[in-house]
Amino acid sequence: MDKKKVIEMKNLVKTYGTKGFCTTVLKGIDLEIWENDFIAVMGPSGSGKTTLLNILSTIDKPTQGTVLLDGRDITRVSNQELSQIRRDNIGFIFQDYNLLDTMTLQDNVALPLSLNGVSSKICVEKTQELLTVFGLKEHAKKYPYQLSGGQKQRGAACRAFITSPRVIFADEPTGALDSRSSKELLECLKGLNDNGRATILMVTHDAFSASYAKDVYILSDGQIQCRISKGADRKEFYDRILDMQSSMGGDFS
Amino acid sequence: MSMGKLALLNFKNSFKNYLAVILSLAFTILIFLNFQNVVYSDIFEGLGGKNKEYIDIVIQIISFVLGCFMFFFLWYATNVFLTKRKKEIGIYIFMGLSNRKIGKLYMIETVLIGIAALILGIGAGILTTQLFQMILLAISDISVDISFQISLRPILITTAVYLVMYLIFALKGYVNVVRSSVIEMVSAARKNEYVRQNTFVLILKAVVGVAVLSYGYMLAIKEGGQEVMGNVLAAVVLVVVGIYLLFGGFLPVLFLYLSKKKLFLYQKERNLWVNNVIFRIKKNYRTYAMTCVLMICSVTALATGVAMKFRYEAIVSFRNTYTYQFTSGRQGLDEKIRPLIEQDNEIAYNSEISMLLLDASVMNARFLEPGYVVVSYGQLKKLAEDTGLEFTLKEPGNDEIIKLSRLHMLSLLTDRSHETVTIQGKSYRQTAEANIPYLGYFQEEMSIYLVNEEEYEKLLPLGTQMRTYNYKILDMYNFAASIDELDMFLESPDGADVGRVTIDPGSSDIEWVKILHTVCIFMFMVFVLASGSILFMKLYNDAFEEKERYQVLRKLGIAKKTLKKSAACELRTAYAMPFLVMLLSARFSVHALEKMMYADLTFIYLVSSCVVLAIFILCYWCSVSVYVKNAEVE
Repeated sequence: MDKKKVIEMKNLVKTYGTKGFCTTVLKGIDLEIWENDFIAVMGPSGSGKTTLLNILSTIDKPTQGTVLLDGRDITRVSNQELSQIRRDNIGFIFQDYNLLDTMTLQDNVALPLSLNGVSSKICVEKTQELLTVFGLKEHAKKYPYQLSGGQKQRGAACRAFITSPRVIFADEPTGALDSRSSKELLECLKGLNDNGRATILMVTHDAFSASYAKDVYILSDGQIQCRISKGADRKEFYDRILDMQSSMGGDFS
Repeated sequence: MSMGKLALLNFKNSFKNYLAVILSLAFTILIFLNFQNVVYSDIFEGLGGKNKEYIDIVIQIISFVLGCFMFFFLWYATNVFLTKRKKEIGIYIFMGLSNRKIGKLYMIETVLIGIAALILGIGAGILTTQLFQMILLAISDISVDISFQISLRPILITTAVYLVMYLIFALKGYVNVVRSSVIEMVSAARKNEYVRQNTFVLILKAVVGVAVLSYGYMLAIKEGGQEVMGNVLAAVVLVVVGIYLLFGGFLPVLFLYLSKKKLFLYQKERNLWVNNVIFRIKKNYRTYAMTCVLMICSVTALATGVAMKFRYEAIVSFRNTYTYQFTSGRQGLDEKIRPLIEQDNEIAYNSEISMLLLDASVMNARFLEPGYVVVSYGQLKKLAEDTGLEFTLKEPGNDEIIKLSRLHMLSLLTDRSHETVTIQGKSYRQTAEANIPYLGYFQEEMSIYLVNEEEYEKLLPLGTQMRTYNYKILDMYNFAASIDELDMFLESPDGADVGRVTIDPGSSDIEWVKILHTVCIFMFMVFVLASGSILFMKLYNDAFEEKERYQVLRKLGIAKKTLKKSAACELRTAYAMPFLVMLLSARFSVHALEKMMYADLTFIYLVSSCVVLAIFILCYWCSVSVYVKNAEVE
């Protein structure tokens, strides 16, 4: 297969605090994300999931190590360039949706694209298409406060996909959703991934959500403890994740 | 910690945040105090006549207007302060404080702010009184000696007026806090109001607003007779109502329409700021409308002042058309008077004309006046040639008449066609009205009509004919030099039936108009600054609410530059909307004024609009930088 490497992390170390009071959160992480991957990162509280995501999404900088995005080290570029990298290559889905309450769902989804200066005609077309994919077509004209949590999160996912980013980072996307809404969202994400349209890295503590991914990495104590890959069946994959969780112990929520 | 200490601590910690409120309150106090001080000082005693009295009336009226303005400004400032504090103080609820106690805390803080503003305002006010008077006199072009003087009365009055108003609003805030629920207080600052108003209601408001506003404009410039006063008053009310509806209905509808046009909307930052404008307009439209009305007032005030000044100058020059005017039943007195004047003065020009004095009983005109005079067309034409005054009047027909009128400070009659004058049963149609001072002082004091030769001859038997001799000397300030010779002539048997009028160019009973003019300029500046600062305060507050939204956008990887641009567009709209509506409305109000004051005020309209624009641009710049800081775009 001629899959391309999207992100490559080498020996990623992150310490917080000042001299003498240092806490090392990430202790040398090596991870590769290839095109069309769907990776879930799991781990107990304090294992460094969020820190890892922050570094990957260029919000934070590592103490040591490199992050290569399309072969380019994003830990050593200026802030202005970072903005541009974030804008053009990365899509975000947050736990708390973060849709703007001032505009309709359709406008929310179109926002990143229109801010990038894409012609309004393409904006409209792409927005319509994605909203249909995510089953939100009839809700396009509603404001966020008129939507359910699940609809909001699917809307946020639309917004993340609209710029066709190289990779999507999802931070606990199902954290605030009930199981049905979670399933709907995950099906959508999986669908796009299966169609070869998206590369996704998802941080979650929920084994059910993780089971939609192709690979699950378990992060603990600042290091990747193991990697579980999906077989043929999602159910079976889910059980394996649960087994791993219980064998590792610790609080995964 | 006692309540007082806690309040003091709060006040000290957030002093910087309240600085804008304190400074604007202090500024209002300063202005009010300065005007009050003028009333109680004796600088205008020297002007004589009724001038001091009129100036006091003018300043009292302005004080009243300023008082009203202060009232609304305080209302506004305390309201802004209340919403801002509510959330912060609301946290104390979780510490087990009762609403009453929190209300008390709010009261103490508010009073501290009020007192800080009072001290600052009075202090700065006292320091600036002399400067204020100097500027007042300099712009008014009045020379009176001034010394530093401040009496206790204006300070007491200002303090009392301010404190009473302020306490009312502080109490109002207290009641508001005591009555509000916990959830309301905690979420006060992030209450999201959606523009999802009933579209039908919005459209109705928009249509009614545009209609009311247009009708108001129409009424304002409609020509008419006695009904003009009513028209103008109705226009003021209609325009104010129309502007409120325009901002509450028309503009939201317009922006909502734009937001539905996705091809228009999805262009760069437009998506972001147009939606933000829609989101804000429901909450802010009253502010926009208020500043808009305030600006219309300020531009109109300035135009009034300038027009008054123009009229003042015109009236003064009208009066000084001649230095001496004589009347007598006899012809040929010029030979006797001329040498007497020429002993001490050089004559610039002179004229003579016969006037037919009619008794009021034979006249029937719109306004009854004690004396009526008729002059003939031919003689007036000759007089105009002698004096060099402009003469473009057409000879009236046999049933036509032309009125020679004085200059009025302002006239509410803007339509003078179709007037008729009846002399001894015969009706004359008034075809024109001229206010060129052909007859100088007499034209100011009497009703003078112009008829053709034929009609003049016919009217001769109805009254007595008097000959007027008019002289203008080269140096009109030297008028007193010839007085003794002229007095001697009038006292001699030869001059027994001669009457004389002397115009003293130095004395004027309308000196107060100059003060009015200056006061109008001040009012203009005060109102414009107030509108600018009201908008600024509003946007300053909004920025805090935007914080979360901008943080989300930053997380999404949207560049600071883009966000700044979007914020700038939004703020620009907030300043531009009231300004543009003002530009249109003020054009009509100034036009109405032009008609009443016979002046061309286009220049003033343009200048004042530019000044408003300059101040707004300044406020806009400040707003953008503060907004970016408060919303933490950076």
